[in-house]
Amino acid sequence: MLQAIDLVKRYGSVLALDGFSLSVAAGEIVGLVGHNGAGKTTFVEIVSYLIRQDSGHVTIDGRPPSASKGQVGVAPQHIALYPSITVREHLVLFGKLAGLRRTALDSAIEDLTVALRLGAFIDRKTAGLSGGQQRRVQAATALIHRPGLLLLDEPTAGADLETREAMLDVVKQRAGDGAAIVYTTHYLPELVELQATIAVARNGKIIARGTYDELVEGLPGEVCLIHDNEEEVRVSTTQPAATLIDLLSRAERPISTIEVHNPSLDDLYRSLAVSDAS
Amino acid sequence: MLLDTGYRAGPIAALRESVYRIGALAGHNTTIRLRDPGQMISYLVMPMVLMLVLKPLYVRAVEGGTTKVVTGLLVMFSVFAISIAGNAILAERTWKTWDRLRVSRAPAAELLLGKTLPIYLVMIVQQAILLGYGCLVIGLPIPGNIPLVLMSILIWAFTLLAIGALLAAIVRSHGELSVISDVGALTLSSLGGALVPLSLMPDWAQVAAHVSPGYWALEMLQAAVAGDTAGTLLPAAILLGIALISGAFAIRRLTRGWGRGGLL
Repeated sequence: MLQAIDLVKRYGSVLALDGFSLSVAAGEIVGLVGHNGAGKTTFVEIVSYLIRQDSGHVTIDGRPPSASKGQVGVAPQHIALYPSITVREHLVLFGKLAGLRRTALDSAIEDLTVALRLGAFIDRKTAGLSGGQQRRVQAATALIHRPGLLLLDEPTAGADLETREAMLDVVKQRAGDGAAIVYTTHYLPELVELQATIAVARNGKIIARGTYDELVEGLPGEVCLIHDNEEEVRVSTTQPAATLIDLLSRAERPISTIEVHNPSLDDLYRSLAVSDAS
Repeated sequence: MLLDTGYRAGPIAALRESVYRIGALAGHNTTIRLRDPGQMISYLVMPMVLMLVLKPLYVRAVEGGTTKVVTGLLVMFSVFAISIAGNAILAERTWKTWDRLRVSRAPAAELLLGKTLPIYLVMIVQQAILLGYGCLVIGLPIPGNIPLVLMSILIWAFTLLAIGALLAAIVRSHGELSVISDVGALTLSSLGGALVPLSLMPDWAQVAAHVSPGYWALEMLQAAVAGDTAGTLLPAAILLGIALISGAFAIRRLTRGWGRGGLL
């Protein structure tokens, strides 16, 4: 569905994309992760046809982004809503811009109202909504026409639990319906829940791609025991369960706290950075 | 299944789709305008009050004082309305919504039409109401050639809209827009003879007036109200030229987005 090959984009002296390549099949969710400045948003903007790449190629269903307008749904990183307009009016506007007519539009609004839990505030102006509610409205405007390609740029940033749950449910459902989805985030657990393919961006290129298990395989987590006298024992390990059992069997004092940390996004970045440098 | 949006190929179907989207955008922007009518009310009420207060002064000072006070204040406060156009476009940048529209199926020309049509209508209505008020309350003679007056209003509103769009495309904040539109409007409209009749201004100002769009607007409107077709056409052509140049620049800038720079 989406093919981006060797994209290069420069802003003055800053190289935002440096050979960025990524493909997403219909029905696939690709979680695009990377630190700020890794090139995620620039990539989303190129695919959305908001900016042009300096070199490289992008096709959406075999056509360039300029010929695919309206086939893409974009929820940008920042909230971009009209403050004096209600949620329903937003959905009507973006639905009509996508070409939806009465019955299809009403039906799409009804579906999204349920799926993203908008019912309690659908006739309220967006200026009065919480951050999480605004996130859901923004996602709804991107989803209203059931696009074949969805670009969701940190759709749950700063969102509450309800927003996160609703968002993940809808993303899974749309992927199940055949949409290709690019989902940028800083939260690895979301991508695990979405069973997404993870693509790691660094310095304007994709440096690794795979499932969560494939990418974190061999990365050390950490087991931490805190004794009743506040003495701490921390062990870095690739086998947290076995290590925990071993530590517990050898503990000589009562234990007040047990902490087990699985490999995090930072651990993944660090390991990839080391391998990239070497 | 993904939704069939009803999009069909073919020129007639494409035109119908285009009109549908422009209608959606214009309706949306009209709603935004109506929910924040403060500026529109100000620029309607203030000239009405000033016409009443200044009319005796104008009548005593110059021949045709009634026409001059009505058209002068109409031009001055319609120039102030540039900020309505500028703010409406610049707000899309503040809200970061312009790029969301650019991602949609609507091409840039439709976005601009949908955005500016309601503002254009506001400007036309403002000028029509002020002229009507001038006739009914201030004593302006009812123009003999209404189509000529209507054409003048349409051209002047188009010029103001294009200048407003240009300003919105180049300023970096609402503060900058406010400074440029308020100071610029006052300077250009005063220089053009909108506040003080040109014949009472110093010689250098009478010469400098020709660079002000306000001067040409006054010339055009006063000629139109007097039913002077020949006297209306030259200033109308000059204003159209200003509008087309400003509009072309604004369209070029707005279709590419604002990028990531700037103060907003």
